[in-house]
Amino acid sequence: MKFDLSEDQALLRESTRDFLTNEWPIEKARKVMEHEPRGYELAEWQRLAEMGYLGLLLPATVGGQGLGAIELAIVLEEAGRACMPGPYLDVVLAAAALAAAGGQEGLLKDISAGKTVVTLAREDAPFRGTKATPTRVEGGRVRGAKYFVPFAAQADALVMATPETLYLVAKPFAVVAMETIDPAQRFGEVRFDHAATAVGSAGLLGRVDRLAAVGASAMLLGVMSRAVEMTLEYVQTRQAFKRPIGSFQALQHRLADMLLKTESTRSAVYRAAWCFDTNDGAAALACAAAKAYAGDAARLVCGESIQMHGGIGFTWELDLHFYFKRAKTLEQFYGSTEVQLEQALAAAGF
Amino acid sequence: MDLQLSEQHLKFRDELRAWLKANLQRPWREALRDPQATEDSLMLLRRQWQRKLYKAGYLGMDWPREWGGRGGTEVEKAILENELADADAPQILNFLGIGLLGPALIHHGSETQRRRFIPPMLAADEIWCQGFSEPGAGSDLASLRTSAAVDGDEFVLNGQKIWTTFGPWADWIFVLARTDSADRHGGISFILCKLDTPGVTVRRLRQITGESEFGEVFFEDARVPRENLVGRIGEGWRIAMTVLAYERGGVSLAYATRFGRDIALLAAACKEHGRTDTVTREKLARLVVENEVMRANGIRSLANFADGKVPGPESSIEKIFWSEFDKRFREAALDILGPGGQLLRTSPSARSDVDWAREFLWSRAGTIYSGSSEIQRNIVAKRVLNLPTEGR
Repeated sequence: MKFDLSEDQALLRESTRDFLTNEWPIEKARKVMEHEPRGYELAEWQRLAEMGYLGLLLPATVGGQGLGAIELAIVLEEAGRACMPGPYLDVVLAAAALAAAGGQEGLLKDISAGKTVVTLAREDAPFRGTKATPTRVEGGRVRGAKYFVPFAAQADALVMATPETLYLVAKPFAVVAMETIDPAQRFGEVRFDHAATAVGSAGLLGRVDRLAAVGASAMLLGVMSRAVEMTLEYVQTRQAFKRPIGSFQALQHRLADMLLKTESTRSAVYRAAWCFDTNDGAAALACAAAKAYAGDAARLVCGESIQMHGGIGFTWELDLHFYFKRAKTLEQFYGSTEVQLEQALAAAGF
Repeated sequence: MDLQLSEQHLKFRDELRAWLKANLQRPWREALRDPQATEDSLMLLRRQWQRKLYKAGYLGMDWPREWGGRGGTEVEKAILENELADADAPQILNFLGIGLLGPALIHHGSETQRRRFIPPMLAADEIWCQGFSEPGAGSDLASLRTSAAVDGDEFVLNGQKIWTTFGPWADWIFVLARTDSADRHGGISFILCKLDTPGVTVRRLRQITGESEFGEVFFEDARVPRENLVGRIGEGWRIAMTVLAYERGGVSLAYATRFGRDIALLAAACKEHGRTDTVTREKLARLVVENEVMRANGIRSLANFADGKVPGPESSIEKIFWSEFDKRFREAALDILGPGGQLLRTSPSARSDVDWAREFLWSRAGTIYSGSSEIQRNIVAKRVLNLPTEGR
């Protein structure tokens, strides 16, 4: 029994951190988030493919590495720390759905080689609770709309879900951008009148959703870890009343709680990833709990970080707001807290 | 990373489970809600249960065999705690002796002290209470004033201890006493004192639950032989801090098991009462989630033990988590159950699954004892985050 990463896993963390430090310094992430309409750079996407990150979970037969959720969590935690923009998690999830459906080897090869971008189109309405009309497929054509489709304008194809079936729909798409507070993520509203190919049952999404929960909570872990680091550095340098503000107990106790939330998220995320990889009986509950907890924790930790930075924390100039925004967006997507709470109750049998 | 118990630990767990099944006749919950039960009868039950565990070789799990322990590891100890929680076994009677004094003797005591005190401690023949807090020294423990003056081959104790858990039930007390008034930390010594020593008086205190698990202990020229000093003169503070860290770590898993059972009973009560609205379900779900995160913390420390890591100051995080969650859980339970949750167990309409009212009150203790949440946050801020000390 061992909580620490194996040698290979530790090496993956180290090399991912080096890679992101060199290729995705925060200055560059800022530039892309603020000025790049795609939301990511094609050259960088190729680099992710070359490094094997796009095929991390895919089998070797389609150019993948055949690794598991623990390795994905490691990569996404680092991506969260670096505030790396782009559709990385979205593409990993769409590929996982296609791999589970089977018969998509050609497409998966292109995905892991970075040639094709595919994401999942799930949301039937812009606001939850509106009387949404699920997209319908009749006579091989899909009609209707999907909202908050990740990187819809950049996608070559979408995996579109109806309540029963998963369909593959190819571009071109008419996309209306849905800009959110988080510039690391791009969304679009897609109106369909397209030919659709059935690829599998919507039931395949159960496992994909658990992977999404682990992946998003790992990213949230990275986001809040970095916010804690920035804040610890700030409170030890910023002086007020002739001493570092980090010497005040009013801040120290809150920082202790921030560490508690971050470390508890770490326990929950990696345990969930381990349960996912080993098909442990607790996997459904562990994944739902990790995402529900991480969503709350990251929002609170990043919010406290802004508060402790004072006025500078409210500026666009400081990087912190990107983390705060990531936290809120990740909380809402990949199975919102509400969804995870329902999942947790169901998994616990209540 | 591997969170599966090893073959050897699985074997240990399965044997233990079988033993518990054969030997635990009555779940603790049932004993507690027995209308015939008194504080004395419950203490007797706990004494008998401890003896049973001891005879079967399940106490002193990680202590060397030569002093009556099992020679096992912290992993086996954490597994034992978790299985006891799962089986709803009573807490052993001498948990302060075994939890705190035992480690102190093993790490700092003399060979004579270990041979003299450990076997009767394990067998529940001598029950221990903890004499740390004083009326003027709670969170600021180092300001304690109970004095131990050296007089020939004796210490003469004077002063008062308070919030002394198990004081009314114990035979012995381990005392932090001042042997040097000029040295704040280095002037404290760790001394063992029999409670029937002339000059020692124990008084019960009534707790908010109505029970008297703790009390106060007065020392008036109480004479204790010099050989009852643990470690050297002035080492008391260091010894106390080491053993408290032991008490804080590695308990999350057992708490998650215990709370998890109560959450399941709460969910069943909701179904029974037709309380299935969204508001209630959200509250329940949040309890499930937090408990699961606590379980993950517990599995992580268990895995770290198995990996040969010693718990450090980060064990304070575990203590804050379980004790603060206990309060939130019990408050939510009373909200969900409505007025019926407040009924005392003696009331005929009270639910018989859990003594919800008592648990609600009892949950206020965990964030105060064994270093309050505020002290734990100080430890995290200073020793994990390395933040500077506040100027005066």
